[in-house]
Amino acid sequence: MERRTFIQGLAALGVMGSLPLPLSQAFANTVNNPVSVDDLPKLKGDLTLYLGRGEGGLYENVLQAIQKNNPDFNLAIRRGPTAALANTIVAEAKAGVKRADLFWAVDSGAIGLVTDAGLAKPLPNDLSAQLQPQFKYKEWAPVTGRIRTLPYNTSRLTKDQIPTSIMEIAESDLSIGWAPAYASFQSFVTAMRILEGDDKTAKWLKKVKKRAKTYAGELGVVMGVERGEVDIGFANHYYTLRLKSGKPDAKLDLAFTQNDAGCLVNASGILTLNSDPLATNFMRYLLSKEVQGYLAREAYEIPLVNGIEQPDGLPSLSSVLPPKIDLTQLADLRPTIDLMRSNGVL
Amino acid sequence: MNLFFKPAKALGASFLIASAFISQPLFANGPIGEHVNHLQANLKSYNEEVEWMVGKVDTLVSTYESKGAKAVNTDDLIEYWESVKFHSAIETNLVPIYASIWQGLYGVKMAIDGGKSAAEVRTQQHAMNTALWQGLGAVKLAAKFQQKGLLKAVTATASKEMTQSATIDEIKHKLDRVIAKLAERLQDEATEIVHDTYLHLFEGVEGTLIEQDANLVETLEKDFNVTLPKAIADNKSVDEVRDVVTDMQTKLDRAKGLIEKAEKNRKDVF
Repeated sequence: MERRTFIQGLAALGVMGSLPLPLSQAFANTVNNPVSVDDLPKLKGDLTLYLGRGEGGLYENVLQAIQKNNPDFNLAIRRGPTAALANTIVAEAKAGVKRADLFWAVDSGAIGLVTDAGLAKPLPNDLSAQLQPQFKYKEWAPVTGRIRTLPYNTSRLTKDQIPTSIMEIAESDLSIGWAPAYASFQSFVTAMRILEGDDKTAKWLKKVKKRAKTYAGELGVVMGVERGEVDIGFANHYYTLRLKSGKPDAKLDLAFTQNDAGCLVNASGILTLNSDPLATNFMRYLLSKEVQGYLAREAYEIPLVNGIEQPDGLPSLSSVLPPKIDLTQLADLRPTIDLMRSNGVL
Repeated sequence: MNLFFKPAKALGASFLIASAFISQPLFANGPIGEHVNHLQANLKSYNEEVEWMVGKVDTLVSTYESKGAKAVNTDDLIEYWESVKFHSAIETNLVPIYASIWQGLYGVKMAIDGGKSAAEVRTQQHAMNTALWQGLGAVKLAAKFQQKGLLKAVTATASKEMTQSATIDEIKHKLDRVIAKLAERLQDEATEIVHDTYLHLFEGVEGTLIEQDANLVETLEKDFNVTLPKAIADNKSVDEVRDVVTDMQTKLDRAKGLIEKAEKNRKDVF
């Protein structure tokens, strides 16, 4: 069935979310291409979104565009740090109060806090069918991703001098830039703990610490690599792409490890806290080809919907082989922070 | 203006800068009160409070002058300032002058606690009085803006939309608060504001900014992570730290221009 025909057919029946579940599921598996906002049902009514801060304004542009496109839709937004909003949602639920209809979080760990509390509603299958196979979850939809990378200084190294195993990097003689206080780094260490165990992770931290230069944030790491202060760094991919966009002659490129925490793909994500079809339909807009393309183009985020182009300068995820990991397992940072502290990293 | 601290530089044309008026619900010195959203109606009492404050400090200094340090409790100076409504009126409307008032208060307090001559204490008192009157002038001007609907209401939630351009204003405002906290002798709080501003605000805009001017980002990165925290940790004077902040704010103005230009060129979502 053609996508457009499918959507139009649903529209003729009413909004998609109002379909009886079995019928919705029957259609669901056929939707695996990006959907245009032109084919989505119009949003009508009121919703409250808790929006974790991130990407300084680009998410706001998306929300404004959705509202402009849907004049009968009123979106109330509460903004704040992602983890704080996740805790607020859980606390409000415990108090018997439900203020948020939707939660758009910049990292999946915060999503995990809410799903673990049993507060997220299941998604219709057609929605998750649009996502790449490794990013399908029952109760939340990853929106865009970012991959852990090894930015390296091209005047000091060639790519083949960099180990393709994150654990082997600790054994190398490369000088390293890192930002241990940075949330993305801590999620990466959490993934390493899950994949390799605490003992190996502790040894890795100790070894790397001996040759690491600490930066406050990961843009700082990437800039330090470019200046030649260190050979390689640990950082999310977009810092390098952005720096190269602003400074095309930057002595900088990206290397990747293979199938380990070093190339973890973490994601921003959205979940709904009620069963209102309006909330589900709102989520469809975030997975539309326009929004996915916009965030890839403007924020250098990795689109997680099938069939959307990656940001320029980034290889396809299939060639990098990120590890398979349930991203909501990254929610509990406490054991990671304890481990980092006990090994003198924080 | 005087030999002891530089006046807040923003009262003139730069009073119009939005960053001075950004809603800011988090205050260290207790509830701010609804009166800050009705400045015009409260100008008379603000005026009376400033006169009261000036009189109380003068009495304390006169007592010191005639009877010596044992006859006064300089902690009263802080209590006087924290007890007036005008305190939150100036804190919500012009943080740079708020910082100068604290700087003046501590100037008087430290001069007395340090056993300085009455003349030196009077010089500090004069500086504090000047900052107070300057603050009252700023609040009167803010009242006019508020009457015209040009002043944002002070709210208790952080729910306003944060465009990248508005984020730069917020960063500048936070840097003003760094000076205010230093002037209040709250060094740890000042450092925490620097750290949080970098992680929660600057990080959100530097991605766009680095595409526009990588060198500017590099300089600001160093300012946030080295220059400013070090100036605070090294116990530099409020004026010296203010110089660092002023330099950063100038760079941030440039950053704002670049970001606004980038926003204009950005393609629509749909």
